[in-house]
Amino acid sequence: MSTPLVSMENVDKNFGTFTAVRNLNLTIDKGEFVAIMGTSGCGKTTTLRMLAGLEQPSAGTIRIAGKLMNDVRPHERDTPMVWQSLALFPFLNARENVEFGLKMRNQPADLRRKKALDWLDRLGVAEFAERNVETLSGGQKQRVALARSLVTEPQLLLLDEPLSALDAHLVIRMQSVLTKLQRELGITFVYVTHSQSEAFAMADRVIIMSNGEIAQTGLPRDIYREPANRFVAEFVGRNNIISGDVRKVTGKKIEIVSPTGTFKLNAGGGTSAGVVPAVGESVAFVIAADLVEITRTRPKADNVVECSLISEEFIGAMVTLFLETEDGTEFKVQLQERELATLDHNGGGSFYLGWQAASAHLLPNEAV
Amino acid sequence: MRQPPRYLTFRVYQGVDLSQLNPVQNASPTERRMDIFALTWRLPIIVWQILFFVGPLLFMVAMSFFLVKNYVMQETFVFDNWSKMFSRGYFRDSYFLTLFLATLSTIVASLVAFPASFALAFKVSESTRRWALFLLIIPFFTSYLVRIFAWYVILAESGAINAVLSTIGLRPYTMLNTKFGTIVGYMTLTLPLVVVLQTFSLANVDRNLVQAAHNLGCSPWRTVYTVIIPLAKTGLIVAALFCFILSFGDFVSPYYLGGSKPPTLPILIIDTTKSGQQWPRAAVIAVVMMATLITIAFAAITLAYRKRASR
Repeated sequence: MSTPLVSMENVDKNFGTFTAVRNLNLTIDKGEFVAIMGTSGCGKTTTLRMLAGLEQPSAGTIRIAGKLMNDVRPHERDTPMVWQSLALFPFLNARENVEFGLKMRNQPADLRRKKALDWLDRLGVAEFAERNVETLSGGQKQRVALARSLVTEPQLLLLDEPLSALDAHLVIRMQSVLTKLQRELGITFVYVTHSQSEAFAMADRVIIMSNGEIAQTGLPRDIYREPANRFVAEFVGRNNIISGDVRKVTGKKIEIVSPTGTFKLNAGGGTSAGVVPAVGESVAFVIAADLVEITRTRPKADNVVECSLISEEFIGAMVTLFLETEDGTEFKVQLQERELATLDHNGGGSFYLGWQAASAHLLPNEAV
Repeated sequence: MRQPPRYLTFRVYQGVDLSQLNPVQNASPTERRMDIFALTWRLPIIVWQILFFVGPLLFMVAMSFFLVKNYVMQETFVFDNWSKMFSRGYFRDSYFLTLFLATLSTIVASLVAFPASFALAFKVSESTRRWALFLLIIPFFTSYLVRIFAWYVILAESGAINAVLSTIGLRPYTMLNTKFGTIVGYMTLTLPLVVVLQTFSLANVDRNLVQAAHNLGCSPWRTVYTVIIPLAKTGLIVAALFCFILSFGDFVSPYYLGGSKPPTLPILIIDTTKSGQQWPRAAVIAVVMMATLITIAFAAITLAYRKRASR
């Protein structure tokens, strides 16, 4: 097996008494597109800044391409970063901004110029080469910033919430620009974001961080369908989390009693593979809001609860309905907007929520 | 729609097309009340400037055309003073000496101040910076003249520095009544101010841009002149301009520490007024000084605020 491009071992980072990153272990392979996702203050930006050398780890080791990087200063690394603020130099025009890294590597002027113009052209902003960067739009600046960090042909590109300042439609467009570039160049992207859609849309692998630690790492789909713990289940997607006591275990089939009712689920695959709780143990499971079926008549499903509708949230193609059982447990159901028409959801009265045992996911690390 | 007054239609002031400004006659009653409100606040400074700056300046220009006969000034309009002053070699020498000393002072002060300002802006904590800036203001609590006389004790032939030099067997070194003395005096006047102004402009430099430079392979040392100085350019030029203006117009340092020979322009003004009540000729020198300062200040401000041309 080849050595990973990035490996972080037992990395801690403290700021005074505050621990930003705790015992982080992470390897990133060459050519991977990794997204680090989490709420603000979870340590994701600190992790990225440690890779750039802008912060020194308080403990542990960081290696890039096998080389110990702990004491290598930022300017001696080849880890360009795309900044949230873009950090374009206002006293240089777009082309000169792109040339900056080449100039620092003492490349001759005509070569610098050619490379810079090539990159600006590749990112579709060649016509603005001689423009003052302050006169460019957000999207154009973004492309110039991207060109500036890629012009030195690094192995590793660090991106710190680069799209957070853009309009929604530009974000979508830049996402495809980024994924396309990453595939073509075959270089490793480490992308820090708080946005689930950005992470899931682009990354090969997603790392969820919480309180300075990795909460889960995996393929976007696995993280979405099989959250490893309550934090991830709450942070990602729209999940219904139900806690209860195990009443019966027959092979892989588990029955759980909660104040809301009795539920069947299968001890699972994925992150909860091999986890079989004992009878009487307190556990929690997740049923994703989009795997719940909502009907007016009692459905034939493994699990059924009766609810009344509280509110709905319309976000275009998808609608989330918020419902409540008699004992006050809240349920979320996600469905296509066009499915709503057949439901007669404005009529009041009760609804039935149903799901199969196989759709529910046991939270493996939530033995309360 | 009413056209704006003709004189406004084609004027452009600092990039603002004045014809776009809302002329008062188009204003709503609320807007008009706001205009009166704003004007009330501006009025004192406008009156002050007219009474004590524009007025005297115009009078000084007028006076440069007066004549003095038998120690009495006559309100005339003749070019005698101008032609006399410009034909005198000592005036030209004095002009270039003053220009040279003020330029030297500006260069020395900017260079000497920069490391201190850089350290205050980047290398110390917020509270240390506050204390340092406070301490830099303390010299201004005492009279400038007192501070200049304090240098006598240090720079004189029998002063502190030469006492130290003699202990290691060196002969006394003449520092008073030299250009070196003048520059020491100028530094006393300007250095604290230059440090304060430079520190403010350096402290405002966006740290993200500094880190971005490091991230792109720019060494910390190289970052100083490729990123930090260009970003702090405006403040650094303004600091230098202040230093130039103060040095160019200063009378005390070249007189007491520089020995007044050859005289700088401010000394020449004093000498001219003393010798035969030649106020009009002194006015010529003063007008030339004002013109020089205005030209240099204008050039410096233009340079300081110049943005990159965008093609």
